[in-house]
Amino acid sequence: MRRVFDLGHADFRLFLKHKSAYVWLFVVPLVFVYFMGFAARGPGDPFNRTPPVLIENADTNFLGRVLWEELNAQQMRRWSLTNREPAARVIRIPAEFTANALQLKPTKLRLLQRNDSGEADNWLIEARLLRALIALNGHLLEAATASNAPAGMTESGLREILAKPEPVSLRTRFAGRQPVPSGFNFSLPGNLVMYLMMNLLIFGGTTMAAERRNGVIKRLMTCPITRLELITGKIYGLMLLGTIQILFFLAVGKMLFHVNLGANLPAVTLTLLLFAWVAGSLGVLVGSLIAAEDRVAGICVMASLLMAALGGCWWPLEIGPPLLKTISLCLPTGWALQALHQVISFGSNWAQVTGPLAVLLGFGVVANILAARFFRN
Amino acid sequence: MSLLKVQGLTKTFGAIRAVDSVSFEVKPGEIYGLLGPNGAGKTTTIAMISGLLRPDGGEVFVAGASFWADPQKAKRIMGVVPQELAIYEELSGRENLEFWGRMAGLAARDAKTRAAELLEALVLTERAQDAVKTYSGGMKRRVNLGCALLHKPKLLLLDEPTVGIDPQARLNILEFIRQLRASGTAVLYTTHYLEEAETLCQRIGIIDHGRLLAEGTLGELQERLGGDRLFVIEADFKNVSPDAWAGFRERFRVIQKTDQHLAVAAIGARDPSECLKELLGLPVRVENVTLKRPSLNDVFLQLTGRKLRE
Repeated sequence: MRRVFDLGHADFRLFLKHKSAYVWLFVVPLVFVYFMGFAARGPGDPFNRTPPVLIENADTNFLGRVLWEELNAQQMRRWSLTNREPAARVIRIPAEFTANALQLKPTKLRLLQRNDSGEADNWLIEARLLRALIALNGHLLEAATASNAPAGMTESGLREILAKPEPVSLRTRFAGRQPVPSGFNFSLPGNLVMYLMMNLLIFGGTTMAAERRNGVIKRLMTCPITRLELITGKIYGLMLLGTIQILFFLAVGKMLFHVNLGANLPAVTLTLLLFAWVAGSLGVLVGSLIAAEDRVAGICVMASLLMAALGGCWWPLEIGPPLLKTISLCLPTGWALQALHQVISFGSNWAQVTGPLAVLLGFGVVANILAARFFRN
Repeated sequence: MSLLKVQGLTKTFGAIRAVDSVSFEVKPGEIYGLLGPNGAGKTTTIAMISGLLRPDGGEVFVAGASFWADPQKAKRIMGVVPQELAIYEELSGRENLEFWGRMAGLAARDAKTRAAELLEALVLTERAQDAVKTYSGGMKRRVNLGCALLHKPKLLLLDEPTVGIDPQARLNILEFIRQLRASGTAVLYTTHYLEEAETLCQRIGIIDHGRLLAEGTLGELQERLGGDRLFVIEADFKNVSPDAWAGFRERFRVIQKTDQHLAVAAIGARDPSECLKELLGLPVRVENVTLKRPSLNDVFLQLTGRKLRE
């Protein structure tokens, strides 16, 4: 066992002697996490999106203020008047809003749509505006009934009604399917899985091929070390490399991108370590099967990009055709991401990620057996 | 007792018999040279002795025990220096030595101590911290050699350890190997350099096309040619056959005959001047006669009909 550690540590030290290792382990993935997270960003959490809205309240009387509060209660993300740019829509409350309501005159609220705003966000804002208006009308009706005349309605009377507990409340949530992870919640696990696979495949494959070419593997086999110790040592070295990348990205994700890693950090870590084991074993396997280093590198890049794309690292599988989801079930990247999204974005507990973890374990065992079977000196 | 005993070792790759019933022994404190041209079967023989290849036939005994009965035990006794530079170029000389020491089974502290000793012995201490890729060819060869010595192996297998280095670096390595032999290490040394085999090895096995053609000390091998004298006659031998000269074959052994040269060795203990007189009296127009000590190349020539470097 001691030789396994010695081998792994030597390999790990060798990886870190290459300056390019730092670029591919840290710099490039970080850039991708940032840009993909930025491109796929969505405000709020995936359960409750809060698209930004600009509310222009020209009514200085109390009903304008109450409507404004109702809109707030509907989780509108209000934007300041001096910084209008990010707002997806503008809701304009006219100056005569209170006066008209008290005189039972209809008033038009203006809902202005920005041309470049997203369709989904616009629908969400409209729905929330409607809910706010229904709530306000309900409260007005109650207040009017209580005071017997709308004209006699006062702010204090209305607020008294507003302060009462709601007799009926409606709680809504996603049904049938999970919400789609977005922003850094999506880009961090996706890129970490992709670059773990890519780096461990490339480092594992090219190292094996190079050491076979220059006779190091043969020389190792003349030492009192078993074939199993040798393969395990090689995979252990790759896992150390993967662990460094995992720790770096979890720390950066938490501190720089403020990704909520969920309540079950051990499950996140275990998933990533299992995945690193799978990727490392596949790297050793590729290095055993293919002799030329440049071919190994090319094949590893192609394979890891393909597995990343089909496994859901580049875009959420939820927005793709069902076939994509089926394909992802054949790939370790798909199962790793499934487990990570479950734990990070959907707050799943251990029991809910047992399935994906068991499948990853299966991938690791098979990859290990194949790496041992096809190992060549 | 022999530290290494090879008996009828055979290996076939498809239709090619790379090693054919090779047998020899190496004793403690002995350097046994396996001399042969490229492709003769030297590396395949070493690969079978070190466990990299399973022989199709024959047996390897290390310190009296069959290698394949307990390969790990046998590997602990031996050190292997491959022909290629099988070291980590990105690591320093010290890091390489320590790593290979640990692979040989040494504890971290022992590996460190031994690495320092070997760096000193191999005159590498000054550059010990530098990456091996910055070393000269000779220095790399010394590191390559040192990596097999960390655990003080009783049996050392050296597969052409001086290939591609300058004469001075070669002399340094050969001197180091002599010191190892003096300390009781049994050394199997493969080479295609005649001078190395002649000056370094106590016993030499000549191998070609996978077969061990002859073995013995340098003197014994020279004796095969009829003692320590060889006559090389320069003349026009184009249409001449020594068989036509009455009794010639009984008195001289023909080592090589070309259109311009005839190399012969006298049979039995004969006076060289008499031999010379007889050769000058041959029915050909002799242009020059050289008397020389037979070399391993002459032995090889006699055994295979071609020079070692052809």
